Amino acid sequence: MKSDKTNKKIIHLLSFTLMLVLGLIVAIPLYYLLVTTFKTPLEAAVSPLSLPKSLSFGAYTAAFQKMEYPRAFMNTFIITFFSVIGVILCSSMGGYVLNRKGDSKTAKFIFIMILSGIMFPYQMSVLGLYKVIQGLNLMNTLTAVAFINIAVNIPFATFMFRSFISTIPGELEEAAKIDGAGFYRVFWVITFPLMKPVIATVAILNSLTIWNDFMGPLYFIQSRPKNVILQEVYRNVGQFSTDWTSMFPMMVLGVLPLLVFYLLMQKYIIGGVMNGALKG
Amino acid sequence: MLWGTILFIKSPFSNPERNDKVKNKISINSPYILMMVPLLAIYLVFYIIPLLYTAIYSFTDWSNYSSVTSFTGLNNYQKIFSDYTLFIGIKNSLIYAVVNVLMQNVIALPVAVILNSKLRFRNGFRALFFSPAVLSTLVVGFLWSYILTSSDYGLLNKMIGVFGIEPVNWLGNPKTALAAIILTQVWQWFGWAMVIYLANLQSISEDLYEASMIDGCSRWKQFLYITIPQLAPAIKINLVTGMISGLKVFDIVVSLTKGGPGYSTETILTLMFSKFSEGNYGYAASFGIVFLIVSILLAGVLLRLFKVWEDRLN
Repeated sequence: MKSDKTNKKIIHLLSFTLMLVLGLIVAIPLYYLLVTTFKTPLEAAVSPLSLPKSLSFGAYTAAFQKMEYPRAFMNTFIITFFSVIGVILCSSMGGYVLNRKGDSKTAKFIFIMILSGIMFPYQMSVLGLYKVIQGLNLMNTLTAVAFINIAVNIPFATFMFRSFISTIPGELEEAAKIDGAGFYRVFWVITFPLMKPVIATVAILNSLTIWNDFMGPLYFIQSRPKNVILQEVYRNVGQFSTDWTSMFPMMVLGVLPLLVFYLLMQKYIIGGVMNGALKG
Repeated sequence: MLWGTILFIKSPFSNPERNDKVKNKISINSPYILMMVPLLAIYLVFYIIPLLYTAIYSFTDWSNYSSVTSFTGLNNYQKIFSDYTLFIGIKNSLIYAVVNVLMQNVIALPVAVILNSKLRFRNGFRALFFSPAVLSTLVVGFLWSYILTSSDYGLLNKMIGVFGIEPVNWLGNPKTALAAIILTQVWQWFGWAMVIYLANLQSISEDLYEASMIDGCSRWKQFLYITIPQLAPAIKINLVTGMISGLKVFDIVVSLTKGGPGYSTETILTLMFSKFSEGNYGYAASFGIVFLIVSILLAGVLLRLFKVWEDRLN
């Protein structure tokens, strides 16, 4: 009995040490990213991991201006906001129909067609997409990127909504109809609010992927006033420069919005990933 | 704000009662059809039609250099298969997809099991391990390019220098460049896989473990014969989604190696982008179609493998 207890203690200690080592491996690059923003190239080269000698935000101000940050932030925000709303509206309505009319052949066909979008990434058809965007006269607009994001993220979201809606009893809707509510009213007033958990999951997961999407803007947004944050990072960072530490504030500004989002909503974000996986 | 938008969008549909009566006379299903319209319209215009277009244009000489586009038959495909960079691209994308996913999961699964037990600071560890996943892959690539650089200030070389190891040109050597790409992505994404395992672990019934304790099972046997089979759903999700997104590897290559040194870290999508930037659109389209075929094959193999495994479990 006693040996069992010591055994457990050893396993516990071993596990804890292992996590600590892994924690350091994860944390050191993040720490390095942060402290280097306050250092000169010389200071960073001599003592890369020490705390900065002085906390001056001058480098941040310069990066902020060089990236035209407020403008880039707004562009990214507009794309993400409207894409997420679009995904939720399209997929909730679509998932609802595909669930409630799930037995019909058309619904089955549409569902399979949409599922193929999960399996086969849109990146393969980016050239055809280029032609479509040109044809619609949407080249170099935020609208184009938003629509693409909606289409790319619809399949998984529809899948989530469709399976969640089976947990909402149809009787509820019937009852409302008997009380005289019309079809759309029943959906928006009764069914939609009940889908809050999936709406939250879809919103969180899509905000992360859409905010961090680089390839869409890279192909479809050319002019600088419409560039998103990542394009500004791409434009400025990575070029050869002796003043290499000045790149670090730009990188931090590049990831800051989602990092803040994560710090505030950590429980919900991790919960969203869990829900997304379990249902998916 | 969300609700405001919904109410606003609702209004064009308004006067639902009268609408419904009229619709009922035409067909019972029509309101359902109307609700499908936004999804179908966007999906068709921005996913299905581009796919068809890509297939069609892969048989043409569509480019920036001439204003006329004409069908050239299989020309692009002949060119693509005599272009050795394509095979480098396919090979790198596949190596990346497979090795990255395996390493991520080999780390994530045990970590999830440990963090599912009563360990001190386990919530802190979970939050920390997941945090790189919210960062942009592009920025992570740039960050690691400074850490791995062979310049005097390269952090990793400085750190291994403490142990007396000679500096290594991680990104400049074709042999280590792809490995470096994979390691940064394992660093960034194992926490995501870990969270999915945690979700699955929480759904395993305690009874299974208690019953096996009575039967005198060791912890190791419990892990092998209870935990792993019970984790089958999470393993499947992680491997399939990881492989599919692995084939799409692009951002990290752009920021970490730009495909170099030479062509040693080019992937299907970075090659496609360089053909696109050169203005050879038709040729780039044929890369897209090859990419489609590779991903169908990979998905097919994976699903077949899982079917065999699941049949054996039952």
